[in-house]
Amino acid sequence: MSVRKIVTVVEEIHAEGGRAVHRPARIAVVAAVIENPWAGQGFVEDLGPGIEANASDLGALLAPAVLDALGEPAEAYGKAAIVGLDGEIEHGSGLIHTLRFGDHFRKAANATTLLPAVEKRGPAGVVFDIPLKHITDATIRSHHQSFEVRISDAPHPNEIVIALAAAAQGRPQQRLAPLTTEQ
Amino acid sequence: MQEGLEQPDESIGLRKLTLYRDVVLTEAGEAPARPAWRASVAAVIRNPWRGAGPSADLSTEQARIAPVLAKLLTDRLIAAMGGAHEIEAFGKAAIVGTAGEIEHAGALIHTPYFGNLVREFLQGESIICFADTRAEAGETLVVPLWHKTHAATRSHYQTISARVPDAPRADEIVVIAAASTGPRPHPRIGDRMTDPVVTTETLEVVPS
Repeated sequence: MSVRKIVTVVEEIHAEGGRAVHRPARIAVVAAVIENPWAGQGFVEDLGPGIEANASDLGALLAPAVLDALGEPAEAYGKAAIVGLDGEIEHGSGLIHTLRFGDHFRKAANATTLLPAVEKRGPAGVVFDIPLKHITDATIRSHHQSFEVRISDAPHPNEIVIALAAAAQGRPQQRLAPLTTEQ
Repeated sequence: MQEGLEQPDESIGLRKLTLYRDVVLTEAGEAPARPAWRASVAAVIRNPWRGAGPSADLSTEQARIAPVLAKLLTDRLIAAMGGAHEIEAFGKAAIVGTAGEIEHAGALIHTPYFGNLVREFLQGESIICFADTRAEAGETLVVPLWHKTHAATRSHYQTISARVPDAPRADEIVVIAAASTGPRPHPRIGDRMTDPVVTTETLEVVPS
């Protein structure tokens, strides 16, 4: 796996809707910009070997890094694969939609749910939104949120951005009725 | 936290803080000799001069708010870089929302109440290079950095992009401090010590 750069973004929200958030709401993202393992190979029918060679290493790299950046226990999480213009979205999906990738995060965060994801193809500097949901119960509405990311010089056409996102809480000022009240 | 006490957050109208940090591990196919961490920290605050005209005196609020921002931003920058001693280059920036004046951005970054303190906290000596603009929320600002004690060190001329997706609102200001722990990935454009003398006379072909 060839990593060009690693990007960390941490956001702390101190006020929302004009009111203070007394325990600032934290969200962290760590992204690895990697060379597309299938770059220049034309249509590769079997993505299995490339997935096997890279997905677990990516999960092992990003999971501890995003939890470290968050600095608090994660309550919500999500993932992203942003493919450069010469690749297929299938390439990015292959790297993140496998237990080899996500289990590193689940294990490190004591999580059980599937990671919500964004998969997208675009030029360097493309804006993408990572969806996050609760780490043990994806129906917990307070934790449905998303986080916008942009890396000015990635992905190049032959690269893929693989990212993990973690939030220490739900939305700041969350106040929607839980799903159970409508059932 | 006791009720009724004014929080520093509220005293400066802080809405959010965004840290961006990257490290280049491979550039043009090769690992840099010294991979450098680069980071920016952006604070989104309410413009203290919203609604004030161009004759408004900026000095009181700049003396009150800028030192708080200098401490807040450099604390996070130092933590993200592993200590002030790790930081070799620095820069600063501000983006004022569309209801403000560029002078408001300048008031928060171009006076000793910000610049001197950032330099002191980051253990630097150089003048701090900067960028500022007025823009809608989500604008990317390219923040220049140069060496914190020897500004003419060419290997450390570099930039970092700073962007907060939902800021500044029209009545907000984004104030940014940025730093790097080293030079560009493969610096090789010489320095003032190695430059030949270049004048129109020394060049065989003079641009016309």
